[in-house]
Formats: sequence, structure tokens, C-alpha cells
Amino acid sequence: MINLTINGKAVQAPEGSTILEAARLADIYIPTLCYDKAVEVYGACGLCVVEAEGIPKLLRSCSAKVSEGMVVNTESKRVVQSRKVAMELLMSAHDGDCVAPCQLNCPARTDCQGYVGLIANGEYEAALKLIKNKISLPASIGRVCPHPCEKACRRQNVEEPINIAQLKAFAADMDLKADSYVPETAPSTGKKVAIIGGGPAGLTAAYYLTIMGHSVTVYDMMEKMGGMLRYGIPQYRLPKEVLDKEIAIIEKTGVTFKNNQKLGADFTIESLKAENDAVIVAVGAWKSSSMRTPGEELEGVYGGIDFLRGVIKGNAPEIGERVAICGGGNTAMDACRTAVRLGAKEVYVVYRRTRNEMPADKLEIDEAEEEGVVYKFLTNPLSFNGEDGKVKSITLQIMELGEPDASGRRRPVPVEGKTEEIAVDSVILAIGQKLVAEDVKELELNQRGNIAADEDFFTTSIDGVFAIGDATNRGASIAIEAIGEADRCAKAVDAFLKGESLDTRVPYISKRDEKTIDYSDREKQSRINPKVLPPEVRNKSFDEVSLGFTEEEAQKEAQRCLECGCREYYKCKLLKVAQRYDIKPERFAGEMPQKYTHDENAFIERNTSKCILCGLCVRSCREVMDLHSIGLMGRGFKTDVSPAFSLPLDQTNCNNCGLCVQLCPTGSLTEKSSLKKQVPLDEIYTDETVEINGKKACVSVARYNGKVLRVIPNDEVSRNSGLTRDELFALVK
Amino acid sequence: MRIVIGQGSCGIAAGAEKVRKALAAQNINAADISITGCIGMCYLEPIVDVYDDSDNLTRLVKVSENDAEAIAKFVNDGDKAAVEGLVVTDEDSEFLTKQTRIALRNCGIINPEKIEAYTNAGGYQALKKALCDMTPEEVIEVIKTSGLAGRGGAGFPTWFKWNAARQSAGEEKYLICNADEGDPGAFMDRAVIESDPHNLIEGMLIGAYAIGAKHAVVYVRAEYPLAIKRLKNAIAQATEQGIIGENIFGSGFSCDFTIKAGAGAFVCGEETALIESLEGHRGMPRLKPPFPAQSGFWRKPSNINNVETFANVAWIISNGGEAFAAMGTEGSKGTKVFAVTGKVKRSGLVEIPMGKTLRDVIFDIGGGMKTDKPFKAVQMGGPSGGCIPADLIDTVIDYKALGATGAIMGSGGMVVMDESTCMVGMAKFFLDFTAKESCGKCIHCRIGTKRMLEMLERITKGEGREGDIELLEELCYSIKDGALCGLGQTAPNPVLTTIKYFRDEYEAHINDHKCPAGECSDLIEYKIVADKCRGCTLCARNCPVDAISGSVKKPHIINTDKCIKCGKCYQSCRFGAIVKE
Amino acid sequence: MEKRAVDLSLLDGVLQEYAPVKGSLITILQHTQEIYGYLPREAIELISEKTGIATSEIMGVGTFYTQFRFEPVGKYLIMLCQGTACHVNSSELILQTIRDELGIDDGQTTEDGLFSLKCVACLGCCSLSPVMMINEDTYGSLTPDKTKKILKELREAAQ
Repeated sequence: MINLTINGKAVQAPEGSTILEAARLADIYIPTLCYDKAVEVYGACGLCVVEAEGIPKLLRSCSAKVSEGMVVNTESKRVVQSRKVAMELLMSAHDGDCVAPCQLNCPARTDCQGYVGLIANGEYEAALKLIKNKISLPASIGRVCPHPCEKACRRQNVEEPINIAQLKAFAADMDLKADSYVPETAPSTGKKVAIIGGGPAGLTAAYYLTIMGHSVTVYDMMEKMGGMLRYGIPQYRLPKEVLDKEIAIIEKTGVTFKNNQKLGADFTIESLKAENDAVIVAVGAWKSSSMRTPGEELEGVYGGIDFLRGVIKGNAPEIGERVAICGGGNTAMDACRTAVRLGAKEVYVVYRRTRNEMPADKLEIDEAEEEGVVYKFLTNPLSFNGEDGKVKSITLQIMELGEPDASGRRRPVPVEGKTEEIAVDSVILAIGQKLVAEDVKELELNQRGNIAADEDFFTTSIDGVFAIGDATNRGASIAIEAIGEADRCAKAVDAFLKGESLDTRVPYISKRDEKTIDYSDREKQSRINPKVLPPEVRNKSFDEVSLGFTEEEAQKEAQRCLECGCREYYKCKLLKVAQRYDIKPERFAGEMPQKYTHDENAFIERNTSKCILCGLCVRSCREVMDLHSIGLMGRGFKTDVSPAFSLPLDQTNCNNCGLCVQLCPTGSLTEKSSLKKQVPLDEIYTDETVEINGKKACVSVARYNGKVLRVIPNDEVSRNSGLTRDELFALVK
Repeated sequence: MRIVIGQGSCGIAAGAEKVRKALAAQNINAADISITGCIGMCYLEPIVDVYDDSDNLTRLVKVSENDAEAIAKFVNDGDKAAVEGLVVTDEDSEFLTKQTRIALRNCGIINPEKIEAYTNAGGYQALKKALCDMTPEEVIEVIKTSGLAGRGGAGFPTWFKWNAARQSAGEEKYLICNADEGDPGAFMDRAVIESDPHNLIEGMLIGAYAIGAKHAVVYVRAEYPLAIKRLKNAIAQATEQGIIGENIFGSGFSCDFTIKAGAGAFVCGEETALIESLEGHRGMPRLKPPFPAQSGFWRKPSNINNVETFANVAWIISNGGEAFAAMGTEGSKGTKVFAVTGKVKRSGLVEIPMGKTLRDVIFDIGGGMKTDKPFKAVQMGGPSGGCIPADLIDTVIDYKALGATGAIMGSGGMVVMDESTCMVGMAKFFLDFTAKESCGKCIHCRIGTKRMLEMLERITKGEGREGDIELLEELCYSIKDGALCGLGQTAPNPVLTTIKYFRDEYEAHINDHKCPAGECSDLIEYKIVADKCRGCTLCARNCPVDAISGSVKKPHIINTDKCIKCGKCYQSCRFGAIVKE
Repeated sequence: MEKRAVDLSLLDGVLQEYAPVKGSLITILQHTQEIYGYLPREAIELISEKTGIATSEIMGVGTFYTQFRFEPVGKYLIMLCQGTACHVNSSELILQTIRDELGIDDGQTTEDGLFSLKCVACLGCCSLSPVMMINEDTYGSLTPDKTKKILKELREAAQ
């Protein structure tokens, strides 16, 4: 045995061992991408470099042998720098998306591609569980979310984005119809967490912390939980029955709800802190913003959120027949469509830019118009004019679009001297909401008057008190934003309760350059929207406008997904190594070596644009299988892996042994799953012994939600069995 | 009288074969016309040497086929006046007289296609001495005394490698000659093989004897067809005479000899890649350890040296290690051959003792600049080397001293540059080379050199960004540290040395979008100086995009919006009226 | 250019001599290219059959070395040197001249099948830079005008 020191630890290794083998024996991690015991050492990736005292060069630990008294450092500054640059270079030439753009653009990082794909396969239960990893109220959010996911959906480069939000609502509705899924909770940790605010942020944090085994109580000032989902969203968009069911599931996990409890009146942050191990402040933004327009104090001028809450609580304010709503966002849409349903005859939306600049969802804008709403674009209220203290008319300044502003939208500028006056009975100001600052006077606020919370750790000025949602930092935003924060905050609080500190920043992932993606081979298929009530019916009632997807519609729509995210995401070795180092591959952005090539046979799919040229596939095909089905072609930057003459795999002697797929450290070679629509899933792999032609053989079986998705030969017998895919599956079913 | 025509590749390219044919057509005794290899004064090719019966040499230079008659007159009638204009000047003669030739001792003197020419010059006596009078250990000891180091670039002591291979267990061993001379700007190995192939064979056989190899292999790059032809011929002759084969000189030592042609891959100059290529594979370097001395060609102990190294061996055995070690500096012994080219007046092969300075080579022997622009830098060591600036011209030729500049001794390419060469462009040129030649195996080299090239391309286009120099440096050091083989590890040297010595040029490109040397076409503008323009219209007629206008005999104007900066007007103007800015 | 039918019997001698010698793949490919002017797929398949080396390996080797071609080349193969000395002495102008004169870029062949252009590594005739080789002949100290003249002469010689 040879004695050496690795990272200060005394290690023994048999003579002739490499440093890498010695480190592995001692359980010391050294990253590798091109190394595998099955084949000869190769030395391409250079990630296994280490520093040894007295040796000026870095050593590739996969080939350098141990020697007596050697002192090795596997994580020195020089080693880390070398690996970091190697990974940056590698990722700068790795043309692939780890996850789909829809997921990346979702503030909660919901695995949209995953559940859309599962729905396409009819796996509704699995889809729902996947959604619930990130969203505790999917039926509600699916209905109300302005779906940033769809804005990033690449399908719109073919025709229109996938109807992701409605598919989410579909999966959640299927779940609500029967025995709803209630997740198992971890054994109790004995830790107590208080959450102030039972809106989407508070409920989400409560749900995930409870699943983690903590004891959670939610305090809310209203009579029922739900926050803005309940008191800000009209019934016709989100029926309260749906919300109630979803909140009931959260309660079933073990969360304690305390309603009609107001911060400052019934308790303080400090008082909760005294009784709990952690407090999360998620009080939301409940005050309508002012427009600072003369006449706002007149009777008949309402805040948008106050108006909506009044209607929902059954004490709608008197709005008369002529109503003007100021603003262009979704709250404005909710207000104007609610006004229509309350029987107003003339409903105007006053907006200072044009339809194209409106932040509201396009569908909402269209549906409101169908219901009779009149848009007054390029107008801005100069004053609300009253008589006897009651609003009677609005003087509107006529605007035109000028130069683009910081947001990229063209800035509206007044047309001098041009005004218009419209007669109204009431005005609803829907231009935003603000935190009620006096509620949270115990906490430090930022310059905007919101709670100052750390963006990644969610900590506040009081130790052990965390804050999330509309009440914090940049102020009110959409529900899914608050939900994303709540999910990450739950993890941060969990770490805090364990005495740790968790950085919830999203680690590095690889993204394709949108400009380089070619869609020309994609067949056009129109987007499917769920049927809706006809305008003349819905404008008279608060019944839900959308009728939701049928199963057939949902599956068909989900099939349209382009499958942008990588199927090997969950077991990608390349990504795991990349995330270990603080890499910035964009420093070296440049030409990609390979164009996307698609080649598949019954088992294997090849995409050379993700290949990192570790050579494991080529070497294993040659050294282990002696098949030589694929080889390295060309040289230098443009080297690629391919069968001779660029033939498809099907026309080679490939016997589908799957060894190359198993060894591929990234998503360049993948084993297809048994699903008709391929989906990246966090499968569980187990090695199982089966019998092939009377011989014992080992196969690696991948399961998801209990279903077998892939069966990969895993020893000499199974690799040379010549069995078809179906025959392999029959072995384990 | 007899006539010897210089027929190295350079000579032939310059027209030596046409001259030979023209001379053969004259009334000259055919037996009196022979050829030799590269004389080394490439800038004077074609060269015809005329020896009178007392072997006095009259060297005729820049000869053309039209001079054949005059030469015949000189040869047949002794009419020296007929060739007066062709005789080499005293000044040019100094190019050779100031050299000390060991590796090149027979080059340009003997006929490379005849073994007798070599043996008459004392050839194969060293081999005989080694085989018959010395033990292999003694041979290694002499080489050790000589201080001979690998002439391929790295400068590793030759005896050490030989000894390691000798010590390696196993009956089957290989002695390999690396004649894959890939450094652009280096051609001394080609010259040795073309001009004195038996010297290489002799050196290799001595090496084979020393390490105990029964097989000698030469790996020659495919771009050298003449070298391959002459070496094959020499092997055949030596085999016929029993110098290659069984029981050589009755010593009991046997060695066969094969020649393999490369197929166009610079990386095969790296010894493990060369071995892969010899075995018929892609020339991708292997991981070291194991080193070739333990496991090389066909996984047998192998020793690899380059051509120039072997070319010194026979001389050392004949003259003793001390004689060789008497030349040079403390750490660098003997002589070194340089291929001096570029903007230098006298270009060709220069062999001088170590310890001379760059100035000796470029100015004393090379005659200084051939243009009226001042000397700016010399590039040494090709893509693995660097650019040494004018103020380091007195650097001594010595492995250590040259290494200290950031360049390397290298295989001996010396490309001289004047002020018109852009140093960022030079770095880009080499990175373009290494990026194309990278085998693609390791990340640092495959992607790193490409990314460096992209950055340099950006900079020379005027699209450089602040921080690019620092990023380049960071990448350079990472590649040096992380690349698998010598090609990658040294690829950053051209970038690092140009940044070190010409940082201001990088900054001018990045910050001011200017190319001080006026070479980067994206950063220059062509203009016509009205005072100098005669209105000859030649530039306008040469312009491919009709960007030049003006009437006859009046000053012309370049429309800079239309101009594609091809430089054709600049090349065509006879009055110096077109300037680059 | 149109590819002619490949007469595989031309390879018999080469394969007989080298197929049994291990490590001879590059040599075999060099001879094959000498025979056909390029490496036809049929020839590669035959070489694979006779040597037992997989076609993927042969293609891997063939695509690694710049010497090998998989398409026929023109009657005149122009190999323009890309060495340092040539670079310093403005080989770029020669490349531009050839492009302009023949309308082809590196790696391409003129439509009439007369000329192919290939930029190659240093030819080792640095003292004569800039240099090009056309088939077996080397041309040195090139200028744009000299290059045009050489191309013109070759074109005329071919007619």
C-alpha cells in the first residue's frame, strides 16, 4: 500500500493506483466527465486535475499514479480556476437547454414542460403532483395567472404558444373532481412557524413548510383564507368554490388557519416571534394607489381593489350606469368586466397608451370588449369633476405616443390643448396597489415604502422574521411571483430552522441562443383555447367564463409542446459539475461547434449539438462492445460523433445495447422512454435482475410515479441479448 | 570543370530544374552536371556552383534558364566574363562563411541522391565506430558529454531520453524520427532530409543501437514529397550496402528502417500523437504517463527525436562529445539551425553556435531588413513560440535566455517582421493556425483556442471590448495549465508575448479602433494624396467596386463608403499617392 | 463535378501489399487517393472489408487529416501556403487574387472542374514566400499579377 495525503487527509491506496482511484477510495470527490472504469483512460476533459506538492504542472488524476508520501490538493485555487475555465469553455460550446424557457420564465420555476408532457400522455395524476411541487393552488392559479410561461413558449415561433395555464387548470380540476392528492408530510420537526397573511404567498409557504414537518399557523385579517385570490379576483374568473377546495387540501396537510386576526390589532410580529421559531410576513398590498388627480376624493371615485372586494363580499358600491375605469392592467379588466356584470350600461376603460401597450392579458382585453366595454385609448384623466361632492364627469387629456421609455414602451405625451370630457356616475382607479405601511411598522421598509427583504434569503431587519410577496421590495406583482418567493422562502426557513443558511438563487443552467433556433421543420398546429360562455350570456352573470378543457382538447393541446428542455436534466453529470463552479460561460460566447442533428432509432436519440466530446460513447462502443457503430469525425472545434458516412444509427450495426447512453454524461445520447410524448422526468433508477435466454442478467429500470419508462441493459448478457424494446419491457413488467 | 545545381525544394521552386534542363541541352559533358541539396541561401536561388579542376568554386546565383548558354561558355571556354553578372557577391558569401555547420555540414555540397557522395565525405564512419568499438552505454555517455538537447523545440537532453528507453524492459523497441516539421516558417528538417538523407539515417542507426531498438521509423510530413523521395532512395541504397538490415558492419546489430508519410496534421509533431498516427489512427495525443520510453509505438518502449537532433549525432560520435560541448553556452551546447525568413534581406538556413545573439543572425548574417521600414520583432518557435521585440535583439541564443522572453528556441523558425506587421494580427494568425490544427481532444485546446481566435478576430475588426486583454490573459494561463499536450499548452504563447511587448497595439485596436501597423483592413481607410496623384486612372480601373472616381490627369478620390479595403489601388499606384490611415 | 464509377480492382495491389500489415491504414488511404484523386465511399467500404477496420474508424482517420478528400478535385489542385513567412509577405493578397480570378474559395472547385483551391499548412519554402503548389510544381515570390499569369497559362494549357 502507498501512503499519501489528499486535502490534508491521510489516504492509503494500492500501488499502481491513480490519484483519482485513491481519492475515490477515501471518499474524496474529484469531478470527471470523460472517465469511466469501463474504458481506457482518455484525459480529454481535464476536470480531474489536481495539484501535487513539488510538481509544477497540474496532474490529470485519472492517469497520474500515486507515490509514497505524495501530498495532493484536489481543490486548490489553481485547480478550481482550471476546472472553472474548462467548464465555461465547455458550456460555451454546449448548445442545449437544460430546462425549457417556459419553466425558466415562470417566477415559481414550475416544470411546465413536465406537466404538459404528462398531460399529453394522459398521466394527469403525475402531472398534478409535478405541479404541486411548485404551486399549492394550481386550479386557482391556472385560471388567473397571466402566464409568463406562455410568453416564453417557443411554440409561438411556429404559430402560437402552448396553452400552459389552462392545461394546469385542467390537471388540477381533474384532481379536484375525485380523491384529491394530499401529500405526505415529513415526521414532525417540533418547530413552529407563524405566517401572517393567507394569500397565495402565505398559503404556499405554509403548505411546503408543513410537508417538511414543521408546525405552521396562518394568521389572516379576513374571514376566509385566499387573500387577493379571494378578494381581488372576480367570481367569473375564479369561482370561490374552486379556491375553497384547494385551500381545504392545504388545511388537510395540517396547517392551522386563524382568520379575523389582524396584525397590529390582535397580535404583533414580536408576539408571534416569541411563540414561534420563525415568522413569515406575507401581508400583501391592500391599498389602492392614488393617481394624484384632482377630484379623487369625490364620492363615486373608488379604488379598484376596494371595489372588487366590496362586490365579492356582497356590499358592492353604487356605480350607476356610466362607469370609467382608469388603468390598463388585469385589475382594470376585472373591474370593468365586474361593472358590466353589475349592470352598468356604459363602461369605459381610460388608458393613456394604446391597446398594444396594455399590460393586461390579451384574452381579457378581447373578452371585455366582447362584453361591451369601450376603450378610451391615448387618454389620461386631467380631473374628476364633481357636483355636490359627487363625481359627474372626467376631463381627459388626449395623448400621443412619443419616444420609447426605459421599459421599451413608447411614452405617452399630451397633445397640447386637446381634451375631452365624458360624463360618468362613478370612477374606478385601477392603477396599482400598495402595502399598508402602518401594519408592518415593526419592520424596516425600503425607499419605495415596502418591506426590505433579502431577495435570496428573504430575511428582514428582525432575525427569524422573513418576508415575501406583494408587501416586499418592489411591491405588488402577480400571484405566481409571490408563490415562487414563498416556495423558495419555505426552503430558506427550513434551513434556518436547522441552523443553516440557504442561498435560494437558481444555480447555473445552460440555455440555447434563441436566435439560432430553426423552426422551419415544424408543422403548424393551432392553439386550442377552452370554450367560453357567449358574451351575451356571461355579461349578465358571475358564472365562470371559461368552460375548461375537455380531456381530448387537453391532450391535443399538450401534444403541441416542442419539448425544449433536456430529457437528461435530472441525471446530467455535465450540469452537476457545471453547478459546482461559479461559471459564466457567456464570457466566452462564440460560435457553436455543431448544428442540431436529430437521429433516432427505436431506443436511442442522438443530438450532437449537446455533445462534449468526452468520447465515452465511441470508446465504449469500440472497447467494450467491439461494434464501432460510431466514431469521431473531423477534428478540432468541429469534431463530432457520428456513424460512418453520417448514416443514421438505424443503418449501422448498433445493437441498441444502450451502453453509450448510460455513459453519456449529458443529453447528447438519450434512451427514449416508453411514453408517446417524451418528457424530462426525475425518474428513479433501480438495477434489477432478470432472466434472458435462461441466463441471469441485469437491467437498469427507470420508473416515474410507479410506471416503468425505460429499461436499459446493464451487463454483458443483457447488452448482447438482441432483445427488442418491447421484449426488454416485458422482462420487468 | 563540373557543375552542381542546388536542388532543394526552394531551388526547384525558384526554377533550378529548368536551369538543369537548359544546361543539359547545352554542349556540356553530362557527367559533369550534378545536383546537390539546399545550399541554404534560399534568397539567391536558383544557384549553380561551378568547380574547376582544382575544386575552386565559382558560385552563380539567381540563375535562369536563359543563362545556360553563358554558363556553358564559362564551363567550356573558361570565359568568366560571360557569367560576371551571376557571380555571388562577397557580401552575400558572408551569409555562409559566418556560419558554423554541423547538422548542415554536407548540405548543398554533396549529391543527396548518391550514397558514395556521403561515404566519400566520411559518412557512416561514426556508425561503424559506434557499432564496432563502443557499447551502447558508451554511445549514450558521449551524447551526454556533448550536451546535445532535442532540437524539435523542447530542448530535453537527448541522452536522458535514450537512457530511459535503453533502461526500459522489453526486447522490442522502436527508434522514431519525428520529421513532421509542422511549424510554419521552419524548414531545416526538410533541408536536411533533401540534402543529406544519409546523415539522418546514420544518426538514427546510432540512436537505435544506443537504446537497443531493432526498428527505426521516420515519420515525414506529406507536404515534403521531395524529402520522402530522397529518403526512400537513401534507405534503398543503405540497405543494398548492408548498412541497414541484419548484422550491420558485422557487429551483430540489426535494424530495419521504414518511412511513413504523415497526412496533414500539425499535432502529429507531438510525440504521442505521432505514435497514434504511425499506428494508423487519428493523431490524438495520449495521456502521459505512460511516456513513450515505457510504452510507445505498439505499446513498446520507443524513443523519438527530431531530424536536426539526429543530424548532429554522427558528427558527435566522430568528433567526440567534448568538441560539440565546446560550442555554445552553459546550458545550451553545440549549434542550432535557423530558418530565417520574413522581411529580412537574406533569407535561408543559418547554423550558428549557441550563444550568438539574435542580432548576429538577423543583422550580421541576415543582412537586416529588406524593406525601408524598421525592424519590429522576430517570431520564434512558430505557433508554440512568441514574438521577441526589437529592444531584445541582443538576447543570446540559449534555451533559457529565449524562454525568459516568453518565446522559445523552438525548432528554429525565425520570421522577421517590420513595422508593417500588426502584432494583434500576428497573434490572430497563429491562433487561427492552432485552432485549425487542434486535434479536438481536450477542452482547453479545442474550445479555448477557438474562443481566443474569436476574441482576436473581434479586436482586429474594431469590436474589441474593455476587459478583452485581461480575459485573453486569463484564458491563456488556463489553457497553458489545462491543455493535454504541448500543442495546447504552448498555443497561448503568441498571444501572451504580443500582449507583453505590444500591449499598446492591443489597446489601440480596442480603445481607439486603430491598427497602428495599418494591416487590419477593418480599421484602416485608403485615401489619395491629391498632390501625388497624377490621374493615371490605374487605381480606378483596378477597383473592384468602382469606389474611385476622377477624370484623367486630375487627382482621384476614394469613396470610403463604397471602399471594401481590398488594397488593390494601394498595390497598383505607381506614385505612392494612395495612403492607408 | 460528376463522379465516375469507381473501379475497385485498381485497389487490389495496394490492399494485397498493405492490408495484412498492421498500422497501414493511412498508407492505404494515401494510395487510394493517389488512384482515384479522392476517397470514394465504395473504396472505403472495400478497405474496411479487407482490413477488418470499421468504416467509422476509417472515416474518423480520413476526416482527421487534411490530406484526404471525399470529393474529386479539379485538374489543377492549388495548394496555397498559409505559413508565417507567407503571411508576413501578404499571402492574403494572393488568396484574394485566386478567389477573384477563379470565383472559388478554400476547399472549392471551379465549375469547369479545372481548378481546386486548398489553403495548406507551411510548405517549407519560406524564403520564396508567398508560395503555392499546383499539383507537383511550386511557385514562389508570388504577386497578384504573377498569380493571374500562372492561372491564365494553366487554363490555356488545358484547352
